[in-house]
Amino acid sequence: MIALGTTAPTFSRTDHLGRPLDSTALRGRRHLLLLFYPLDFTPT
Amino acid sequence: MDSNFSHAAWAEQLGGVSLPLVADFHPKGEIAEAFGVYLVDKGITDRATVIVDAGGTVRFAESVGPGGKRDIEALVAACEAIDAAWSPGLPDATPPVGLPEGAALYVKDRCMFSRWALYGRTNLHLEASLPVVNVSRDPAALEELVRRGGKGQAPALVTADAVLYESADIAKFLGERASWG
Repeated sequence: MIALGTTAPTFSRTDHLGRPLDSTALRGRRHLLLLFYPLDFTPT
Repeated sequence: MDSNFSHAAWAEQLGGVSLPLVADFHPKGEIAEAFGVYLVDKGITDRATVIVDAGGTVRFAESVGPGGKRDIEALVAACEAIDAAWSPGLPDATPPVGLPEGAALYVKDRCMFSRWALYGRTNLHLEASLPVVNVSRDPAALEELVRRGGKGQAPALVTADAVLYESADIAKFLGERASWG
């Protein structure tokens, strides 16, 4: 598990609707909440 | 962890989600690994939550284990506290575009796709702004649907300019218009 206080790794992908998504897009605007989960169709 | 195809199918079944789903499928688990939440021995991603502040620093990281359950209320509070602690201050969020005037969701009884569309309406908090019309119980509404869109198929999302009949299209439309920027 990543340590608190460290700089988060960044990533750039497309989302489920095919829209570009950059993990740095929220910088200066909001927190970024990352919900990791094992598989789709399981509880979030 | 799934591919974008599976995500799209899941989002369709949920009727639309108000947050982007990112596939960490190829290369498998790359993002999870970078955050230290990929379970190599199991070949899956842990059910873990990471909150990054507006400056890009990790402020919260927690695993509940693959079969565990997140405490959503605690996470909401953590997010709010992290934003409140961001000393430069944060701009107001962009509100969702919203649904076009007069939009309505036509559904029918005993229909899986109608149920998915109704889940989307709930997930996206559209109960107050998106009225539901049940064509199984309202013959006049069924006629109206045929008149507006050319066929009596439900679910259908009816707006002034268009009628969307595919539940995937409905999910996409609702997700795009009901999400905060």
